[in-house]
Amino acid sequence: MNRSKTILFIVFVLLATSLLPASADEHPQQRQVVGEISGDEFLELHKTLVPEKALWKTVPWQTSLLKAQNMAVRDKKPIFIWSMDGHPLGCT
Amino acid sequence: MLDRESTFADEELVTILKKHFVSVAIDQWYTRSQKDAEGEFYQAIARQGPRKDMNHTTQGLYVCDAAGNFYGYCNNRHAETLKQILRKALKQFDASAEAEALSAGVADSTYQRSLPEGAVVIGVNTKVLSGYEDTEDVFLKIFQRSVARDNLWILAKELQQLKRGIVAESLAKRIARFHLIDNTRGEPNMWGDDDIRSMEINVADDGQLTGEVEIKSADSGYRTRLRGTVKFDGDQLQQFDIVARGWYFGHGTFTKNAPEGEFPVAVAFRMTDGSDMADSVAPQGSKGWLEGYLKP
Repeated sequence: MNRSKTILFIVFVLLATSLLPASADEHPQQRQVVGEISGDEFLELHKTLVPEKALWKTVPWQTSLLKAQNMAVRDKKPIFIWSMDGHPLGCT
Repeated sequence: MLDRESTFADEELVTILKKHFVSVAIDQWYTRSQKDAEGEFYQAIARQGPRKDMNHTTQGLYVCDAAGNFYGYCNNRHAETLKQILRKALKQFDASAEAEALSAGVADSTYQRSLPEGAVVIGVNTKVLSGYEDTEDVFLKIFQRSVARDNLWILAKELQQLKRGIVAESLAKRIARFHLIDNTRGEPNMWGDDDIRSMEINVADDGQLTGEVEIKSADSGYRTRLRGTVKFDGDQLQQFDIVARGWYFGHGTFTKNAPEGEFPVAVAFRMTDGSDMADSVAPQGSKGWLEGYLKP
């Protein structure tokens, strides 16, 4: 088990103890109780919830096509456009 | 999301891009409609590909040059296909050909989303903590382990209030409607104002933030607590380390394949330092209606 898996495992254990299921009588759809976030759980989640270092991030992406066009003229290079619904570097 | 961890996880492809191309990432929802120099350049390229109708999506991967010559297009996640297009483009590209740098001119204000003066950018990362069924599907696996990314903008006047220990209603609503959301499998449907069933976020004198939010739409919802620390140095926000963790259910139009029933989702907030290119990307919740994001 590598380090990130270990951290996730700890988070799940913390969740299991803090998000106790409510009784079916109380919530017909078996809604879970939202437990307090302990100090340890906060630290673990805040540390864990970061995107991993990824290869795609090593590309010097531009976010302005106009700027990219200008750079392509200057550097005498072709242009690669990653064109998506939603910003490819943002929330997609 | 899938492209990042499939196509652009190919070492050779990334090397080719870094060495031989100027690479740019855009949200074509804007660029295909922009009435300015950038929009015109993009539309001229896209019309040479298979998606010529600017009233519909032109999503994909394009290769062109500064003069507007089109070299290829694909919209699949196989790195080999893209590498073939890139190599072919490099053979066709004439570096000695003259091309003129386009001037910006007047940008189409309809599609500009700039960080308001005095505002700060907070990075937001979201993860489904558990609940997925095992799968052998490579792309589903990517979704299941993904940590989503977005940016939260906190406005200058909200920072002034936050410094005094007051979480402005506009900030609390912005966090709830646009950032307490499962965006780990694609573009999410944002919550409506009426979806917020209850919301209480407080900051104590020592900067400790606590909160509880319940959101529910017709087919999805999130009940969560928040905890964290907010600190200022003079007027400057120094720390905004917050975690939300609770139970989620349902999915959006483009975020299908969520776990069944209720599943745990956590969201982490932290200050950005501008070192990541993604720090400059406008929040997803501002797409199409910046005012609605700034004044939720």
